[in-house]
Amino acid sequence: MSDRRLPRLLQSPAVILLLIWMLIPLGMTLYFSFIRYVLNSLRRPEWTKPALSNWRGFGNYEFVLENKDFLLAIQNSLFIVCSILFLTVILGVLIAVLINKAFPGRGIVRVLLISPFFVMPAVNAVLWINMILDPVLGLQGLAVAGINDLISSLQNAPVVGWFFSLWPQFEPISFRATQTSAIAVIMMVTWQWTPFAVLIFMTSLQSEDQQQKEAAILDGAGAWSQFRFLTLPHLARPIAIVVMIQAIFHLSLYAEIEIVSRGNGNKNLPYLIGEFANNNIGAASATGIFAVILANIVAIFLLRMIGKTLME
Amino acid sequence: MAIVAQSSKYGRVSRATLAWVVGLLFFFPIFWMVLTSFKTDADAVKPEYLLFFQPTLENYLNMTENYDYWRFARNSVITAVFATIFALAVGIPCAYAMAFNPSRATKDVLMWMLSTKMLPAAAVLYPMTFLTKSMGLFDTHFLIIVVLMLINLPIVIWMLFTYFKEIPKEIIEAGQMDGVNTWGEIREILIPLAWGGIASTALLCFIFCWNEAYWTVRLTTTEAATLSKLIEGNRAPEGLFFGRLSAVSTAAVGPIVVLGWFCQKQLVQGLTFGAVK
Repeated sequence: MSDRRLPRLLQSPAVILLLIWMLIPLGMTLYFSFIRYVLNSLRRPEWTKPALSNWRGFGNYEFVLENKDFLLAIQNSLFIVCSILFLTVILGVLIAVLINKAFPGRGIVRVLLISPFFVMPAVNAVLWINMILDPVLGLQGLAVAGINDLISSLQNAPVVGWFFSLWPQFEPISFRATQTSAIAVIMMVTWQWTPFAVLIFMTSLQSEDQQQKEAAILDGAGAWSQFRFLTLPHLARPIAIVVMIQAIFHLSLYAEIEIVSRGNGNKNLPYLIGEFANNNIGAASATGIFAVILANIVAIFLLRMIGKTLME
Repeated sequence: MAIVAQSSKYGRVSRATLAWVVGLLFFFPIFWMVLTSFKTDADAVKPEYLLFFQPTLENYLNMTENYDYWRFARNSVITAVFATIFALAVGIPCAYAMAFNPSRATKDVLMWMLSTKMLPAAAVLYPMTFLTKSMGLFDTHFLIIVVLMLINLPIVIWMLFTYFKEIPKEIIEAGQMDGVNTWGEIREILIPLAWGGIASTALLCFIFCWNEAYWTVRLTTTEAATLSKLIEGNRAPEGLFFGRLSAVSTAAVGPIVVLGWFCQKQLVQGLTFGAVK
């Protein structure tokens, strides 16, 4: 039995399957992005079938680049992803440091904290946009109504009534609107992914050099400088990994955006592709190629970092 | 450790309190969903019944009637279970070969597998719809099982690879001396030794399959629709059905959240591909 053939044979099903999975659909997307291809066209029925004779060159790319929705979608993708990254990393580091030391009930707090991560995205979005953020019936609406009631009853109170009559009535915010729907998505995804950041930072904190820390304390280092000069540098690598993994996941957010506002005001690239794909396949494919390029920029950095720790 | 214990009692108490507050805050939306699921639809939107109300099981009892819950749950279970089994069946031999007979290309193959995971799904949305419709696979269990298996295969192979690497090579080689063939090595030596690792890989794969919300929504209509599709289809109940929607949501995520509690550690390894230890 040859030493080389058998391992290859064992790996081949996985490799072949992934190769098919990657190459065929992506190849088709690439092909469609260079031809005129629409699902419905009364005037040009020949465009409704993919064919080389409908070759359009970079026409679809030009069309997409000139479409104002495309720029908005890129902007929005970046706005949503960067906001989530910023919030999850800051919250993640703070919470991980907070629960790194033992305290009564630490195990339970850990379980409470990690739970949001396992909630399926569709439930996450439905729960937040309805039960929590709804301007009338959700907790937000109820809270605002409660505060307004309290203020108006205090306005009739003796002595202090004049003071409260200066207060305005508060307006609840509708998170399905154009300006705010991206904020709702950011909130719900941050809620879901902060636990992930916490979990990774905590795992990493457990391998922090305790002796170094004790030496620092002996040298009179305060809590802040311990954090700044020991903990934070130790967390640099996990932070980079959390940022990149999340970037890859959040660049393809879909369910949350669909559920919150059906893309109203917060279209991202995957959502725009879905919209184009209702008719203009050429444009959807060109947008898809742009999405692949964007994801690859992040992925190259991530793969480099992971590659370093592999095989040690 | 005497030095670390220096912090004042006041500091420790406030720290513990803050940690509890943060934990409870993060859990609150889930708690709220579960609580609302025990209210009638009418009570669920009345401020006077915010915390104190007459609990009812009505929403859970009517889940079949209101949402046809069990059909979607059955689809979720079938697709997630078979996708996990197939991912392991393909992944175990592959990870075994990579861990015990690595070649110079192994590292590159692993990195390439990972890179397939980073391909944005939306980019291949139309080709997938087109191919599966023309092959008559659209909206079938088979298709969803295959897709779920493929998107999780890289993570499965990675996790198995990191577990298998911990096993001393000598044990496997001893088996080879005894004349056991490869299949026997995998079945009688590798699987019993790496049982814990394989189980947690399977658990994590199952969770990812269950929660998947792009392909399961875009490649199904009714036949193979999973719980993600069910919830997504009831996105805007306009406050009329908060009670029943909470119940069906709780039923959709409950089992997975509980499973998730048991594989926190593996999650770190699985999602960071072994880069954080």
